[in-house]
Amino acid sequence: MQDFFELAVGAAASGCVYGLIGLAYLLIIRPTGIINFAVGEWAMLAAFGGYVTLTKYEWPYPVGMAVVLGLMFVVGWATERVVVRRLVEGGAPLLAPILALLGMLVVFRESISVTFPPDPHPVPDAFGIGRLELGPIGGTYQSFFTIVTALGVFIGAWLFFERTVAGKAFEAVALNRRAAALMGIDLTRVTALSFGAGAVVAGLGGLLVAPNISAHYLMGVPLAIQGFTALVIGGVGRVAGPLLGGLLLALAEQLTVRYAPVPAGYAQGVPLVLLMVFLLLRPTGLLKAKV
Amino acid sequence: MKLVAMLAAALIAVAAQAQDTIKIGVITDRVGVSKPYSEPATEGMVFGANEINKKGGVLGRRLELLVEDDQSKPDVSAALARKLIDQGAVFILSVSLSPATQQQQTVTMEAKTPQMTPMNSADYLTTQLDNPYFWQTGPLGSVQIATLLAHAKKQNLKRVALITDNSDLGQAIGKAFRGGLEKAAMQVVDEEVVPLGATSATPQMQKIRGANPDAMFVAGVVTATNVLIFKAYRELGLKFPIHASYNLSVPIYMTAAKGLVNGITFVDAYDPDKPEVKAFEATYRKETGKEPANLHGYGYDGIMLVAEAIKKAGSTDKEKIRAAMQSLTYGGVMGAKGMKYHFPEGKRTGFDPNGMVVRVYEGDRQGRVVHVGQQ
Repeated sequence: MQDFFELAVGAAASGCVYGLIGLAYLLIIRPTGIINFAVGEWAMLAAFGGYVTLTKYEWPYPVGMAVVLGLMFVVGWATERVVVRRLVEGGAPLLAPILALLGMLVVFRESISVTFPPDPHPVPDAFGIGRLELGPIGGTYQSFFTIVTALGVFIGAWLFFERTVAGKAFEAVALNRRAAALMGIDLTRVTALSFGAGAVVAGLGGLLVAPNISAHYLMGVPLAIQGFTALVIGGVGRVAGPLLGGLLLALAEQLTVRYAPVPAGYAQGVPLVLLMVFLLLRPTGLLKAKV
Repeated sequence: MKLVAMLAAALIAVAAQAQDTIKIGVITDRVGVSKPYSEPATEGMVFGANEINKKGGVLGRRLELLVEDDQSKPDVSAALARKLIDQGAVFILSVSLSPATQQQQTVTMEAKTPQMTPMNSADYLTTQLDNPYFWQTGPLGSVQIATLLAHAKKQNLKRVALITDNSDLGQAIGKAFRGGLEKAAMQVVDEEVVPLGATSATPQMQKIRGANPDAMFVAGVVTATNVLIFKAYRELGLKFPIHASYNLSVPIYMTAAKGLVNGITFVDAYDPDKPEVKAFEATYRKETGKEPANLHGYGYDGIMLVAEAIKKAGSTDKEKIRAAMQSLTYGGVMGAKGMKYHFPEGKRTGFDPNGMVVRVYEGDRQGRVVHVGQQ
């Protein structure tokens, strides 16, 4: 049982990271319909930002984090402005920006690959290395920090969509772009903001996971896959979807490795098989969109 | 008219000089999974070629490296081998991923062009294809485990755990480790794989903890994944000793795994006290202003071996180079003190099976040699 509680905290932290990457997808998909597979590379960019600000220059954690996330907003906004907007305004089909963003995935990765040496780069834990024991539940400071931060982000995103006019504008665009435009909502602004916010959220995921997996130029694609899987499991319709999906995915991954009677190496396939079965049973994901 | 004649003569001279180089093809990985290994090895190779050229080259001709990037993709790699041969390379040095090196062999065997990997460690490179134009001087996976086991034998290990990653090479090294452990009559009580892209290795380490081994062998070769493993090991407060693959000899662990590696023993092909190593490091530092590592040494030895073979052949005829290479004996930077590369009759692996060393991390530093060879 001790093993289970140890795992639960670590898996929840991993799930929160997957959830954040999933939320980054969702923030862009909902108003634009565009699936941006470069979100994993955004997480990687932020992880390298963490390496530069927190490890190399040893800035205080909150300052380094704020600067990196600020820069990520600029990266997201610039991606939309330079790559996506021209295609959308030029009447290109939806697949065009998706393909262009796949190209950006390579651009982001190679930019880092040629700028930094190929080795993993360490990023510090927010509160240093140590364990927190809460009764039977125990985990690293970083795991608890990841969980609390991610929950804060998801609550913030929910409040934004449910309680603010700007959030309602996002919702309106998600429901019907043409009608939203006729109601006076600035589609360009909403799209740019969605990319900026998506980059910030993905970047936060990268910063939170980097102390564990280090900043590495190949870290983006696995995160992009895990985040997308979390989104599909949880459903695109609700903000909480990717978080729920991420938690389920991470628990399935780690409990399978720990308890399933399958040989090492095969365990990683089990969650994907579960995902396929799940999608057959519930194609829209766990949480359905509000009608 | 005179000016035109002079210009033409100058152009002919430049062209002749260009033709006069000895072209060596280098297939490396600049963006793929092998980049952390390939890049420093290539740097060592370039440094070695410059050193040779400063001393007058080989057979009075400068060495010219034609460097290509295969991204660790075997299909791309084979096409690049063909391209290099078409460009006049008389030898190909492969410092990309083992499967890519293997694929290049299909071309070099057919084109009868000498090829060598100074770094790859997969055992199958010289066993699956009977290619008389291919040599391997990187220490084999089986030699690594045999050396580690020879050291571990002193500790009377009975029950051990094995952990690796799911990369091609990690799996190959894991297989070699498992074979070696079973051969040494050690019981592998648990075997785990940490997939690339995992965000935690806690479940695998919990299983190993449950199996209660005397020691854990780490066969993984992906640094980020190994750091994850060591992090979980420390977080769970585990105490059994760790014996690790040569991946731990990469200097990045001293910074990327700060506070996690103290006491880990690892197999290496690099002895910092060896006179050749000291000389190499001093020159490298002086010439480049950078700190060399063992991976630079692999590349450096690779180009030196090729130069020696061409010198011995007395010609750039590929068949003569092949014969010279097969009969070469050469002492380089890599390997234990006194080790020499040589290719016994019928063998194309040149790293002496007793040439590896076992070292130990002292704090975050790669420390002293604690064991040499397989005895």
